[in-house]
Amino acid sequence: MNRKVTIIASNGNLFDAYKVFNIAAAAGASDDEVAIFFTFDGLNLIHKDLHQHLPVPAGKKHDLERFKKANVPSIPEMLQMIQEMNVKLIACQMSMNVMNVKKEDLVDGVDVGGAATFLDFAENADVSLTF
Amino acid sequence: MSVKVDVQLDCKGLSCPMPIVRTKKAMDQLEPGQVIEVQATDPGSLADIQSWAKNVGHQYLGTKQEGDLLKHYLRKAGNYVMKERKYPRMIQNEELIQKLNSDKNIYILDVREPAEFAFGHIPGACSIPLVDLENRIAEVPKDRTVYVICRTGTRSDMAAQLLTGHGFENIINVVPGMSVWTGPVEQEN
Repeated sequence: MNRKVTIIASNGNLFDAYKVFNIAAAAGASDDEVAIFFTFDGLNLIHKDLHQHLPVPAGKKHDLERFKKANVPSIPEMLQMIQEMNVKLIACQMSMNVMNVKKEDLVDGVDVGGAATFLDFAENADVSLTF
Repeated sequence: MSVKVDVQLDCKGLSCPMPIVRTKKAMDQLEPGQVIEVQATDPGSLADIQSWAKNVGHQYLGTKQEGDLLKHYLRKAGNYVMKERKYPRMIQNEELIQKLNSDKNIYILDVREPAEFAFGHIPGACSIPLVDLENRIAEVPKDRTVYVICRTGTRSDMAAQLLTGHGFENIINVVPGMSVWTGPVEQEN
């Protein structure tokens, strides 16, 4: 149907990552046009190293077993999957400056842009979400 | 009920959104009109697969449940443009319903795919998918009026042309067809 879906990812723990990537994957599988804007701790989700070991919220370690049991793909797998679906990944330039993250620290295929870049894309979005 | 499918997809044990992600990938490999059976154990897949099909434009046929196993049936949408119907002899759904009320022995030929037929057809209708019609043409009676039906009237139009091309004289296309059928329906068990 080709809806336009925009997601702001501003938090960086494992659960935040699943919320963002699950919605993105479902939208991508529906042939929607999807863009995710990664800002502040959300940058962890596309950081080359950090996205492979995202922190689990305090007191929730036991949930990891349940993720395995439910056959939920890992975050690196989810990330690869949505990239194959051509989900647009935009890293926030300002957050990168503040947190001293360089473009080469991020996974391949990420665009870097400012708030205006995202607004440009989000202007006529059908669905906008913030996590 | 046995449902003939072109492809089976195993999504057992997978959680949301993986069943639809896998289904999308598998669907991309299919030809328009082909039918896929998606096996899933995620109860959420029942609602999800229907929403997904509606949004993407594929036809959701139905779901069979066997214990915890859900078998979803979908038919890939055609990318053909809706052609103008060429066969002149047509009857509206409502007229056929009236005829059925007065005569239960009407010969109805349903040319949809077996999976579409299985999830709901007019009681007593004969099933010969359009692709098989030429090979199975001997099964169609020449001495009776044949009402040909499909989902939207396009395949039945082609079937009607094919039958008259083979010398059948009493062929009538039912329009629009099963997509908006309000008369009696039965399912295969």
